[in-house]
Amino acid sequence: MSMPGVGTEQERPLAQGATMEISVSRQDLLRELTATQSVVERKTTIPILSNFLLEADEDRLTIIATDLDQSIKTSCAAKVKKPGSCTIPARKLYDYIKLLPEGDISIKLMENHWVQIRSGRSNTKMVGMARANFPQVPEFPETSITRIPAASLKGMISKTIFAISNEESRYTLNGALLILKVESMAMVATDGHRLSHVEKTGETLTNVSGEKKTLIPRKALAELQSLLGSGDDAFVEFADDEHTLFFRIGRRVLTTRKLSGQFPNYEAVMPRDNTKFVVVRSQDLMGSIQRVAQFADERSGAIKMRLEQNELKISSSSTDAGESEDTIETPYNFDPIVVGFNSAYMIDFLKAVGSEGEVRLEFKDAQSAGQMRPEDPGEDYKYRYIIMPMRI
Amino acid sequence: MGFDAFFGNATTVRHLREGIRAGRIPPALILAGPKGSGKYTLALMLAQAINCLRQPESDGLPDFCGECKNCLRIAEAQPLETRVEEAVTAREDMRDADKKETRILIQTHPDILIVPPDPPQLLIKMGQVRRVIHSMYRFPSDARHAIYIFTSTAFMKEAANSLLKILEEPPAFASIFLLAENTGELLPTIRSRSVVYRLGALPTASLEALLSQRHPEWKPPQRALVARLAEGAVGRALGFDLPGYAASRQDALIMIKNALTEPDHSVLFRMTETYRAGADGQQKTSALLRALSSLLEDLMLLQSGAASLVRNIDMLPELTRLSTAISLGWIESAARGLNQVEAGMRRNLLRSLSLDAFATELASS
Repeated sequence: MSMPGVGTEQERPLAQGATMEISVSRQDLLRELTATQSVVERKTTIPILSNFLLEADEDRLTIIATDLDQSIKTSCAAKVKKPGSCTIPARKLYDYIKLLPEGDISIKLMENHWVQIRSGRSNTKMVGMARANFPQVPEFPETSITRIPAASLKGMISKTIFAISNEESRYTLNGALLILKVESMAMVATDGHRLSHVEKTGETLTNVSGEKKTLIPRKALAELQSLLGSGDDAFVEFADDEHTLFFRIGRRVLTTRKLSGQFPNYEAVMPRDNTKFVVVRSQDLMGSIQRVAQFADERSGAIKMRLEQNELKISSSSTDAGESEDTIETPYNFDPIVVGFNSAYMIDFLKAVGSEGEVRLEFKDAQSAGQMRPEDPGEDYKYRYIIMPMRI
Repeated sequence: MGFDAFFGNATTVRHLREGIRAGRIPPALILAGPKGSGKYTLALMLAQAINCLRQPESDGLPDFCGECKNCLRIAEAQPLETRVEEAVTAREDMRDADKKETRILIQTHPDILIVPPDPPQLLIKMGQVRRVIHSMYRFPSDARHAIYIFTSTAFMKEAANSLLKILEEPPAFASIFLLAENTGELLPTIRSRSVVYRLGALPTASLEALLSQRHPEWKPPQRALVARLAEGAVGRALGFDLPGYAASRQDALIMIKNALTEPDHSVLFRMTETYRAGADGQQKTSALLRALSSLLEDLMLLQSGAASLVRNIDMLPELTRLSTAISLGWIESAARGLNQVEAGMRRNLLRSLSLDAFATELASS
C-alpha cells in the first residue's frame, strides 16, 4: 500500500463506488470525538478496533467506536457532499483534530482506504481499514424505553462505582446493580468487603412494572458517567434486550454487553441492629482518617475506631511507620466499642459524600459490619455504605 | 464448504457434530493431536457449525454454510500465522507504555476469541487469560455460543491456574477449546474438567492419495516420501517443506556420520555454527532435532528388520548401511542425548555449543 502524495491533489475515481466527502466544524467534531474516544481500546491487537467508523448521510456525520464490550455512537451536523462511510485510526485522528485551529474541516475518502483531512492550509492523509471489517454495533431498540432522570443516575453512579470489584474472577461483582421501580430507583455495588447502596425516591419511571434489576458493567458505568457529565440532557433513555444494555443521552447511544450471573443477595448483609451510633462532621472524620492512615499497616490500611463516652478515637500503628491517634469529640452514650476498618474504604465513602455536612457511623460490635450514612442526605436520597470489620 | 472438507478422523468429527445436534457443547474441550493434524481447522469448523446462521445439515448432522456472516467472519481467522503476524505488527506500532501490557489475541468474529501463544516467549500469558475471563461472562453479541480457542498448551503457570477458575464455573453460553499436541502439558485439574477428543494419525496410503489430488505437480516418489514424513498429519503433509526438511536432515546426518566414522570436526563445527540465538535459530534447531529423531527412529526400525516402516525412504540404502554399524544401545543413548538437548533448549542454552557437546558425546559412546 503506498500513500498517495500529500498535496498533489490526486482526484482519481474510487474503487467499488466507495465515497465519502464532508465538511464539519472542528468544534463539533472534536466534541463528539472526545465523547467517543474513551471506548477505543489502547491495548488491542485487533487492528479494526483502534479505528472510528465515520458515516455521512443527509446532513449528519455519525461517529462510532467499539471495543466489542461497549460501543458509543454519536453524531453532529455536517455538510455532506458525498454520503458514505470510512474508518480512521482513532487515536491519531483525535490527537490531530485537537491540534487544528478552529474552522471547517473537510474529510474525504480516497482509494485504498486513505482518508484526506484538510483544514485551512493543513492537509493530511491517514489510512483506515475496510468499512466491512468494522464490527456491527447493536441498534437502539425503540420499544420499552425507560426514561431515567440524568442527574439522579449520575448521582447514583458516583455514589457506588468505587465499590465495584476489580477482581475479574468475581464476575458478578464486576458491575453495579440498577434496580428500577415505578416510583424509585436504586443502585448497589460491592466487592465483598464493602457495599454501597443508594436509593432515590420520588421518581416516576415509565415502562417499569414491579422491579427491574440490571447489572451494569463498570466500564459502561464510567462511560455513562462521562457522557452524563459532558451533556445537559435531563433524561437518559434506557432499554435492553437479551444480550445488550442501551443508554441514549441526547444524540449519543452507549451500548454494553450484559454480564451474566446472579448479583449476590445484598439485602441479607444490610445491618439491622446497629444501634450504637455517633455523628461527626464529614470533613473532620476525613481529616482524621487521612492523618491516622499514614501510620497504618501498608497492606491492610487498618485503623482502629474506639468509641467511648462522648469521644471517637481513631488510631493506627505499624511496626515500620510508628503509631498515630486522633480524637474527635462528639456525643456518644452507648457502651464503649472498638472496631477495625480498612481506612481506604472509609475514605472512598467520605469522598463520595463530599466534605459538607455530617455522617453517621453505626455499629453493633467488633465482629459485625459497620454502616456509614450521610446524616442529612437531602433530595430523597437514601445512601448507605456497609464495611466489613477487620480483626485488629 | 462444510465438514466434508475435513480430511480423516471421521469418527471423532461425527461424535463432535452429534454433540452439537444434541445441544451438548462441552464447556471445555481438548482437541488433541500432533502438529498439522487439523486441530485448529476443526476447531474453527465447529465454531462455524455451532453459530452458522443457516444451519445446514449433511448426513443428518449439523454442518455450516461457509457463506453467512458468522461463518465468513470465523473463517477469516483460518490463516492463523498471518493473523498472528498482523497482531504482532499492530503491537509493535504501539507506544512503549502500551506495548508491554498488550497481548496477542485474534478476534475476527466478536464472539470467537483465539488465543495464540504470545511471542517472543511463545507462552499463553496471564493477560490473555484475563481477557478471556473478562469477556466470557458477558453474553455473546452475534453468536449463539461464544468460543474461546487456545491454540497451544504452553501456559505460564499463573495463566493456567486462572484458566482453571473459569473451568470451575463456566457460563452456559460459552466454551473453551484447548488445542493440544501433548495433553500432558496441561494441568491435571484442567484435563479432568475437559472432554478430550483425539485426532489420530492417518494411514500413509490415504495421505498419498490426498497428496496426489492436491499436489499433482509433485512426482510420485516425492508424494510417497512426504506422506511418510508427515507422520499421519494432514496439515503437515499438505504444507510439507521438503527442501527445508532435507536441509535439516543433511545436518542431522552430519552429526550421525561424525559419530560413526572418523570425526571431521571442521565440517561439524561449520554446521553447528549456523544454529544461532533468536527465534529463527530456535525454529532451525527444533527442525534439526526433529529430523535427527526421525533418522534415529528409522535406524532402529532397520535394525529390528522393519524396513517397510522406514519414513526416510529416499535414503534407504544409506540408512541400511549405517544401521549395520550401530547397536540398539547406541540408538538408545543417542535418543536420551537428544532429549537432553531439547531440555537444554527450553532453558535457553547456547544452541551451537549444545549441539557440539551432543555430537561429541555421540562419537564417544
